[in-house]
Amino acid sequence: MNALTLLAVVQGDGQVAQIARTFGVDWPHLVAQIISFSIVCAVLHKFAYKRILAMLELRREQIRQGIANAEKIKTELDKTETQRQEVMAQAHTQGAKFIEEARAAAARVQQEETNKSIAAAEQIMAKAREAAAQDHDRMLAELKREVGKLVVQATTTVTGKILTAEDQRRLAEETSKLIMA
Amino acid sequence: MKITKQAKREAKQLYRLCVVKGLLDENRVRQVVPRVVATGGRDCPSILAHFLRLVKLDCAEHTATIESATPLPADLQTVVQTELTHRYGPGLTTVFAQRPELIGGMRIQVGCDVYDGSVRAGLEALAKSF
Repeated sequence: MNALTLLAVVQGDGQVAQIARTFGVDWPHLVAQIISFSIVCAVLHKFAYKRILAMLELRREQIRQGIANAEKIKTELDKTETQRQEVMAQAHTQGAKFIEEARAAAARVQQEETNKSIAAAEQIMAKAREAAAQDHDRMLAELKREVGKLVVQATTTVTGKILTAEDQRRLAEETSKLIMA
Repeated sequence: MKITKQAKREAKQLYRLCVVKGLLDENRVRQVVPRVVATGGRDCPSILAHFLRLVKLDCAEHTATIESATPLPADLQTVVQTELTHRYGPGLTTVFAQRPELIGGMRIQVGCDVYDGSVRAGLEALAKSF
């Protein structure tokens, strides 16, 4: 626009035209170059510059979103860290509770096993006492049997020598009474 | 020797023929045996074997074995014979024997019945009680 104004001014003024000639200005070429330059500018503006601006805007937007996301992530991270701390504290509490329960269970199991061992030991002792009593009874019976044998042997040896004829008769009469009994 | 039922039956019939008034007649037994032998039947040995068994059983049932450690006085022997006859009836054969191992007392056996009043029996009972 300024160039056209300048051209009109130059056409209207002879000095300007003379200066232009002095400097070698070829108006048709100049106009053509201006038009072609304008076209190039328009084309660049339309097909390159706008796209580059749009791309830059897109990048700017992406960076803004990235920053926002980073902020969000940082916030989430802080929140997660807080939750982690809480979970850790809770886990620590539960762990301590579990350990206490395990200790109590272990103590209970130990007590039960101790009771079982005591019961088993008492049972073994009772069986041993019973076996000892049985052995004692058996030995007593054997002793009684042996003493009985000795008594019978002694009686057998002695009786025949001390029985008189009267004794023999009395014994025979007692046997004869058995017949009619 | 296997004794058949038929042989047992015939031996029993022969034994019944030999019994007179509840007592085994020895003369009849002596007559029966030669006759059975004379018939010469196939079952003759088995019949005679079973007949012998029945006669032995009868003899054992009518025989009283009286054992004592010392010889029994005559009066006591009479008493025992009387009581046995009263208990088992007439026809009882009594056999007296002396067995010092009885130590004292008397042991009487009639068939399956045993009356043991000997000291030995008492001692054996005492030994079993221990």
